[in-house]
Amino acid sequence: MDATQLAKPIEQVKVSHGDAGSFPRIIAIARNAFREAVRDRVLYNLVLFVLLLTAAAIFIGELSGGQERRVIVDLGLSSMLLFGAFIAIFVGVGLVYKEIEKRTIYAIFSKPVGRGEFLLGKYLGLCLTLLVNVVVMGLGVSLALIYVSGGWDPLVLVIWPAMLLIYLELMILTAVALLFSSFSSPALSALLTFFVFIIGHFSADLKSLATSMGSTGARWLFASLYYLLPNLSNYSFITPAAHGQAPTAHFVAMTMLYGVCYIAVVLAAATVVFSRRNFK
Amino acid sequence: MTQLSMKSDSTKTAGLVIIIVAGLLAAASLSRWLDSHRAPLNADAADESLYLNGKTARRMSLAFNGLAADWYWMRSLQYVGKKIINLPENVELDNLGQLNLKTLAPLLDTATSLDPQFLDPYEYAAVVLPSVDVEQAIRITKKGIDANPNAWKLYQHLGYIYWQQKDFQAAADAYSRGAQIPGAPRFFAAMKARMLAEDGSRDTAREIYKQMFEQSADDSVKDMARRRLMQLDSMDQRDVLRKLLTAYQTRTGHCPATWKEIEPVLRSLRVPLVSEAAPMDPSGAPYVLKGCDVDLNPKSEVPGK
Repeated sequence: MDATQLAKPIEQVKVSHGDAGSFPRIIAIARNAFREAVRDRVLYNLVLFVLLLTAAAIFIGELSGGQERRVIVDLGLSSMLLFGAFIAIFVGVGLVYKEIEKRTIYAIFSKPVGRGEFLLGKYLGLCLTLLVNVVVMGLGVSLALIYVSGGWDPLVLVIWPAMLLIYLELMILTAVALLFSSFSSPALSALLTFFVFIIGHFSADLKSLATSMGSTGARWLFASLYYLLPNLSNYSFITPAAHGQAPTAHFVAMTMLYGVCYIAVVLAAATVVFSRRNFK
Repeated sequence: MTQLSMKSDSTKTAGLVIIIVAGLLAAASLSRWLDSHRAPLNADAADESLYLNGKTARRMSLAFNGLAADWYWMRSLQYVGKKIINLPENVELDNLGQLNLKTLAPLLDTATSLDPQFLDPYEYAAVVLPSVDVEQAIRITKKGIDANPNAWKLYQHLGYIYWQQKDFQAAADAYSRGAQIPGAPRFFAAMKARMLAEDGSRDTAREIYKQMFEQSADDSVKDMARRRLMQLDSMDQRDVLRKLLTAYQTRTGHCPATWKEIEPVLRSLRVPLVSEAAPMDPSGAPYVLKGCDVDLNPKSEVPGK
């Protein structure tokens, strides 16, 4: 995003809403972040995804011994998570850094835009990009399922709650990427976010380590890590979805609540760190 | 930009395109040459052990354990398929002991560790593994029962393995435990009684393969069950034909030289006949007359053993 592109919507916001609070400014930044992602051809990954699913739908029947529906769900949702994680990590870590490198951040902060508003706007913009990505991929998986089943397939309804959980996981990952990028270089931020993604899926092991360690210090260390790092294994519902098992509404609601809490914490921490940086 | 420099640019681009195309063609040709001239691996090296066991693979697969299970499942099918394709004659899926399928058990074990609710690998283990490594077949099926205590199909698989091993008491126990699961089909209770009363009778075998054919989602397993059912029908038919041949020999003092000689009897019994009055096996191939005995046609789809 460059300064002139951002300045225009923010000016419009000021004119149309007067002193309407942070919300219009956040929305303006989010909209620009989304446009920037589209301009950067982030959504081109959908083409690769569609090709992958089409090939799978046509050829997998011969290889899977009658398990094509299961493979389509596994392949589709796993690709959704993998592609989404790559976008969240690699686009997420560049959100702030690009503005600093191009020096457009000085123009942005010369307007009445707060650091928190800027970060939240950027975050929501990338979340919108990911939402478009997930929804289009979800439609692709649903169509592939209908194709291999030769008609309506009840699995189509089961996979959407699993996709919601994948999207929540990607939202958490984006927040983590934003946190690291608020104080570190893109390469290091990407590496750290990737570690969080991996460790987040090992959370059950962290918990068992915490309980099985002999020394109290080690127990505390692993217990702290368990609660400090996001428990991403809660969002892994791909395999049950392939068996036609949907998460309960209560489970989804609780994981959403956990996600919102965790994202709020991470974005607040990112704002604290980012506020201390000098852009004057 | 002058016309001369534009022409020079187009020449460069054309040159680069030629290099790309020629390079790709050369690389593909060399790759084919290398494939055809590579020394074949010996059987032990080709069946290299898996790097990861099931538990480690599960840990490393993060949220992608379902996809990894699919991968190992398809590898299992390809592994068996590649070995079968190299055989000169047809073999049955439940009789692959000669193929040295030593990597099959670890592959199926890993697939089921990655996704313990994935039932098809258990079925494959129950059908294919007993002729390769019966201990592993029983272990993997029992592992499936532990992970899916309500999946009655797994008890059916376990009963099938024990029945094949002629351990009819264990087979009856497996069917008995399966019968207690809510939703289990009625034939479980009948199979328990049949295992204890009839052991290895053809009717028991017919019932087992009939259920397998009706319930399996795997085409290769279905096909195996279909051929086994044809084999059982053919065994019954051959028993009848042998009786007819013995009766003919008793009556005339010699065995028939051709099927034509006993055609009226065959027609009166409504045995389906093909050309030259030869009776037809369940796959549609004519039986071969061997003196006072009858044998399967080499072209028949019915398994010989």
